[in-house]
Amino acid sequence: MTVKIRFFARFRELFGADIMTDVVTGTMFTSLITTIAKKNPEGYAAIFDEKGAFREFVILMKNGKRIDIADAAKTPVADGDEIAVFPPVAGG
Amino acid sequence: MFSERERERYKRQMMLFGDEGQERLKKAHIFIAGAGGLGSPVSLYLAVAGVGTITIVDMDMVDQTNLNRQILHFDRDIGRKKTASAKEKLQEINPDITVNAIDVKIDETNAADLVGEADGIVDAMDNYPTRYLLNEVAIAKEIPLFHGGIRGFYGQATTIIPGTTPCLKCIFPKAPPMEVFPVVGVTPGIIGTVQANEVIKYLLGTGELLTNRLFIWDGMQAHAEEICVERNPACEACGGMVKKTTARKKK
Repeated sequence: MTVKIRFFARFRELFGADIMTDVVTGTMFTSLITTIAKKNPEGYAAIFDEKGAFREFVILMKNGKRIDIADAAKTPVADGDEIAVFPPVAGG
Repeated sequence: MFSERERERYKRQMMLFGDEGQERLKKAHIFIAGAGGLGSPVSLYLAVAGVGTITIVDMDMVDQTNLNRQILHFDRDIGRKKTASAKEKLQEINPDITVNAIDVKIDETNAADLVGEADGIVDAMDNYPTRYLLNEVAIAKEIPLFHGGIRGFYGQATTIIPGTTPCLKCIFPKAPPMEVFPVVGVTPGIIGTVQANEVIKYLLGTGELLTNRLFIWDGMQAHAEEICVERNPACEACGGMVKKTTARKKK
């Protein structure tokens, strides 16, 4: 099955705008993002901490609905899902 | 009532919203937190639109590194207080409005008093701790918070109506780390103008506000999109608030 991962703001600079990827059934949100992010060490460090957990400010959405980072490891992705990953933009 | 000068000044926009709309703007008081990259376009456009009272707060001096984006301040202002520079420019661009420029750091001891009786708060800050404070004040006073944020070529904006829309904490529960952020002046120009547009619509009571939506601007792609955002029932800032029947204060 195929899902689309969309990055915004700083994460977009690191990963590009959209990534389409094939995943196996039962893949969880966290493992999917981890796999993608590991291809870019700087990007990985922007999203995950040293222990491999999402940094607390990272916003995750699945098809427009917020996923709590605490629930991401047990939230499966489904075919056609659109996943958004972004940081709050802080400058003014 | 408008003077002849005001009627001439606002003629082209009164074609859109008439005496009544212009009167609403004139009677309004908007609080702008920050006289920097976002605060510059926000305050300039609200001033020329004829928002009757603008309070703008900033604690910094004008630095040369500000001048690529903070269009309220000129080269001659380097070393001056941003508030002094802001008041001068805003009063010059529209002498028919009242500008209060307050040189202070917004903190938990003064935020509510600074906002006072304002009809809305514009978030033109550069950090989340102060944004969260403004969010709390907006919730306590039940007035809108017009949020904007920028970095590089990217920006975001949303309009928060406490009790009705998600608040800033619902959308962004945790602050990102502080940084010296890269930015090109057009980005706060675009986002600040979106914020000012929201303020004007809110005051006029017209159009569709940027509520329950996070507007996201990608200047590199020249692409804007929006993400739906929802209230968090367990939000520590607005979780207990009940939806109001009238979102907009009638003046």
